[in-house]
Amino acid sequence: MIRRLLPALLLAVSLWAQAPAQAPAAAPATPPAAAPVPITDTDIKNIDAPKPEVRAKGDPDGGLTGTVADVSVADSKKGLTIADVVNQIGQNKIAVNFVWTLITGFLVMFMQAGFAIVETGLCRAKNANHTMMMNFMVYGVGMLAYFLIGFAVQMGGVGAVANLGGTAPLSAEYTINLFGKPFGLFGQNGFFLMHHGTYDVGVMVVFLFQMVFMDTALTIVTGSAAERWKYAAFIVSSFFLGAIGYPLFANWAWGGGWLANLGANFGLGKGYCDFAGSGVVHAVGGLSALALAIIVGPRIGKYTREGKALAIPGHDITMVLLGCFILAFGWFGFNPGSTLGASGNGNLRIGSIAVNTMLAGMTGGFGAMFYMWLRYGKPDASMSGNGLLAGLVAITAPSGFVNPVGAAIIGLIAGVFVCISVEFVERVMKVDDPVGAISVHGANGLWGVISIGIFADGKSNYGGSWNGVNGSVTGLLYGDNGGQLVAQLIGVSTLIGFVFTLVFAVNLIIEAVVGQRVSAKSELEGLDLPEMGALGYPEFELKTTSH
Amino acid sequence: MVAVGLLIMLAGFLLSLLSLPLATAVGVRMALVLAGIAISLFGLIGVLNRAYLKNAIWKR
Repeated sequence: MIRRLLPALLLAVSLWAQAPAQAPAAAPATPPAAAPVPITDTDIKNIDAPKPEVRAKGDPDGGLTGTVADVSVADSKKGLTIADVVNQIGQNKIAVNFVWTLITGFLVMFMQAGFAIVETGLCRAKNANHTMMMNFMVYGVGMLAYFLIGFAVQMGGVGAVANLGGTAPLSAEYTINLFGKPFGLFGQNGFFLMHHGTYDVGVMVVFLFQMVFMDTALTIVTGSAAERWKYAAFIVSSFFLGAIGYPLFANWAWGGGWLANLGANFGLGKGYCDFAGSGVVHAVGGLSALALAIIVGPRIGKYTREGKALAIPGHDITMVLLGCFILAFGWFGFNPGSTLGASGNGNLRIGSIAVNTMLAGMTGGFGAMFYMWLRYGKPDASMSGNGLLAGLVAITAPSGFVNPVGAAIIGLIAGVFVCISVEFVERVMKVDDPVGAISVHGANGLWGVISIGIFADGKSNYGGSWNGVNGSVTGLLYGDNGGQLVAQLIGVSTLIGFVFTLVFAVNLIIEAVVGQRVSAKSELEGLDLPEMGALGYPEFELKTTSH
Repeated sequence: MVAVGLLIMLAGFLLSLLSLPLATAVGVRMALVLAGIAISLFGLIGVLNRAYLKNAIWKR
């Protein structure tokens, strides 16, 4: 009893003690406004640092750590000056943004592990080594292509990235004149990260962050073509996508290219907007996945002679759902990290972006689970996982521009849409996609791009403008005249009509030169031995099937 | 037919692009872009994919 009463008693005593201070006082006379006093170097010099003998006793509460003593001094003879303090403030801002962008980039890199086990779990055990190796090596193949060529094509003309302290060397965009307006087509600086002064601290941060995004797009393709894709063809195809296919569209959207400037040049909202890459990363990856799935054709046994689709279950649903969790975790790097900073220029929206991300993933999972439950009588586990991913894919583009309710709706629609799309791709198009990559990333990447033109609420403010147009990104539901939606749809048209066509045509050449599909014998045996030389599960006896 | 499908898809994209100089009204631009997307989808699903289905592995 005493224990319960004691806190209440202490609270009452403390309130009584504070009461005089909280009592309303007579309104004080308004003091005359004092003229601002300029701070001088002398004022700065008079700030005392903690004395060494005090500091030597340790600093358990942190009050003595990070003081004037830690401000870098440019000239020790002059001592601390205002210029030193201001420079330190600027460097602190950029340091915060560097650390933020790098750590979120590391999270995105870890998504490769999520993709690897999702895809491997959804494939049969006899292809585990092959599927895992594609996911593992796409990281290196993509990085090499991007280092040599892709980064310069994508970001070589982006100009200064203010959040990262400038990145001034990325200043050469190849531009043509079309319809009387400049159309940026590709960047020209940054080959090998040495070309034209790009050996620069800010450029390195941009490279790392953009590289892991590009690799995410590449690893999507390995899922749709899994269990029958020739490993050598995978290497060549992935190199092309990392060097040219992905960077080209990414330049148009993020690198200062023509899509980003649809607002400035043609009055279409703020131009094509894609905050973190529903279009740039996921739709490019998903449409490339569709191109490959069509070219390599369905797996043996996927369709009967009458064309009826048969289920080919994956071998480990625990891997699949664990992979989905890893991806959801990595998405906290993907979307909030796309501010490229945490300090300045409206970047405190990182909390809102992270919440939007988690909400859309949640509603996406629910949407798919309930759709499958109502339609087929059971809450399908792999489709629930795909629903979560679809929600995350869809919110990637609008995450920086919408409110939490908008995010939840976008995710819910994505969760249902992915199920309908999987059925359409499998039963109507008769395209075999073992992991649902086309629907998760392609279809919902496009939905995410479109959703900006509808749900962007006009409340975001990243330095007062977006894509060089003043104001906030606003969609139809919040008073836009439809111009933003048109810009988004032009992006969708470019993805389907140009990017898909380019990727398809190049992969037809690879088909002619290298060959895309393994032999029927290898496919029936499983690709682990014929393609990789070792089984994924050598001590297990694998079930013999007719497919 | 594969090449025809790819050309139709590209034509859909070009129609969307041409909406920029051909019109200034948002409604007209949107109609042209939607038509471009529809043409590209027809090229993809109705022509290109159908060409592959003719020789699908499960028909052999």
